[in-house]
Order: sequence, then C-alpha cells, then structure tokens
Amino acid sequence: MSDDAHHPAPLSPIELRVAALEELLTEQGLLPDGFIDEVNRRFESQTGPMNGAKVVARAWVDAEYRARLLAEGTAAIAELGFGGPEGHHMVVVENTDAVHNVIVCTLCSCYPWPVLGLPPSWYKDAPYRARMVREPRALLAEMGCPLPDDVEIRVWDSSAEVRYLVLPQRPPATDGMTEAELAALVTRDSMIGVSRL
Amino acid sequence: MSAAGYLPDLDLPRRNGELAFDAPWQSRAFGLATAVIEHAFGGDREPFRRQLIAAIAAEPGRPYWESWTIALEALVRTLPEPPIASSEGTGVQG
Repeated sequence: MSDDAHHPAPLSPIELRVAALEELLTEQGLLPDGFIDEVNRRFESQTGPMNGAKVVARAWVDAEYRARLLAEGTAAIAELGFGGPEGHHMVVVENTDAVHNVIVCTLCSCYPWPVLGLPPSWYKDAPYRARMVREPRALLAEMGCPLPDDVEIRVWDSSAEVRYLVLPQRPPATDGMTEAELAALVTRDSMIGVSRL
Repeated sequence: MSAAGYLPDLDLPRRNGELAFDAPWQSRAFGLATAVIEHAFGGDREPFRRQLIAAIAAEPGRPYWESWTIALEALVRTLPEPPIASSEGTGVQG
C-alpha cells in the first residue's frame, strides 16, 4: 500500500500487526467488505467540532436551550440531531467569568465524539493527560490560554460513563450576530477548554 | 520542547476541523476496533476501553495508536473461537 510504486516501502512492524488483525477479523466474519472505509466516512461526515459549535451557538442565543443543555446534556444535544457512540452520557460544563472548565481523560482517550469528532493527538498523549490534572494552570498557559489567578479551573476527567463538553463564554461584541455566524466562531479547543474565545 | 508538542498543529490537514489520522494504518486500526465492538460486543465499547487503558498504562510513552493496536489484539484474544466460518457472518451479538 505504498504511494511510491518504484520503491514500495516494506511494512513496519505495527503495520504488519494491523494487517494481521485485519486478516484474522475478516476470517472470523467480523469485518464485512468495505467496513473500515465506511466507518471512517461515517466519522468524517457525521461527527466533528462543527456539531459542538452548533450546540454552543444555540445555547448562546436561546436561554431555555442553554438551561436544558446544562441540566440534561445528552437530550439537549440530541435535539440538534447529534448522538451516538461516546456521546450517550454527555455533561456540559459552563465557563463563566469566575470558572474555567477543561476536559481530559487521564486513563485513555475518552472524548465526546458526536460533538467534537476524534480527539487531537495531544489530547491522547501522556503529558496532557498527566499534567492537566497536576498543574492545569501552568499547562493551559503553555497552550496559549493563560488565566487570571482568581479564575477557578475545574478539570473534568472523562470516565467510563460520562463525556464532558465545555460551553465557552460568548465573545464580547457579538450581539448582532446570527446563530450561524456565532457557530463559526466556536473552536474545537474552546470546547475542550484549552482556549477561550 | 514543552509547549509545542501540545499545541494543535495548524499546518496539518484536517477534515471537519479535526486532525485526520497521521498514517493509513491508524485509520485502519480505528476501523478494526469499531468492527469488533459493533460485531462481537453488540456496540459495547467498555471491554475495548479497559484493554486500551491497560495497554496505555503498561507503556505510557508508547505512541497512542500502537497502544490502540495492542489493546485490540488483546481484546480479540478474548473472543471465543468462531464457529465454522460461514458466509452468513458469526451472528455474535453482545
């Protein structure tokens, strides 16, 4: 499967292991033809931060929706048509002037797929997982999100049951914007809690 | 070396605003895990999650998708031997 037909690279050990798994699962009838491509298409088209951005923008313009979102995240997110694996028990945590929230999975890589897609590499790496719990203020500053000392930082560790999403604060001077314009301002990192808008 | 490693790399290709896989084998490993979860565990992700936690804990510095692959290998080893292979699939659910 090399891009270079003249010098096909030998498969690396890890590529060989994945290929062996693929062969085994195919033999066992667990891997229908085309399944991997279909899964990847499904994730690319149906999940991602643009979904979370729509949830956030709706919460900014609709106080009743915001209340439902904070009270019952999974159901409120489903109102906009988003749900599925890794999104069955969503809890939305709200940033305020006094509180900044950030999400992590200390043990592996749990992440709210329906509203954020698959996690970025740094989210899955050991330094982020360890340091966000131990020294969140220092790590956030390093990541370009310095916070005043009087802002409380709450770190939410995803568990087997719960996936968190940060509701960032609405940026100033956005009063005249439509919901769609607001959604375009919302970044993935602001919904993880490693940046502010 | 500290901060840059955690910063989203804005130059890499993204889909849906999300970073795509670094290499094709990673997306295949992801799809394989989904196949096992959906077709052998009835959609229950927890058994795989437990293997992933164990694989990461066993070697915290190992690249993530390698731990993912090792976790999947371990999960597959827990599957019962398939019945005689048949074109009907296994019918294993939950």
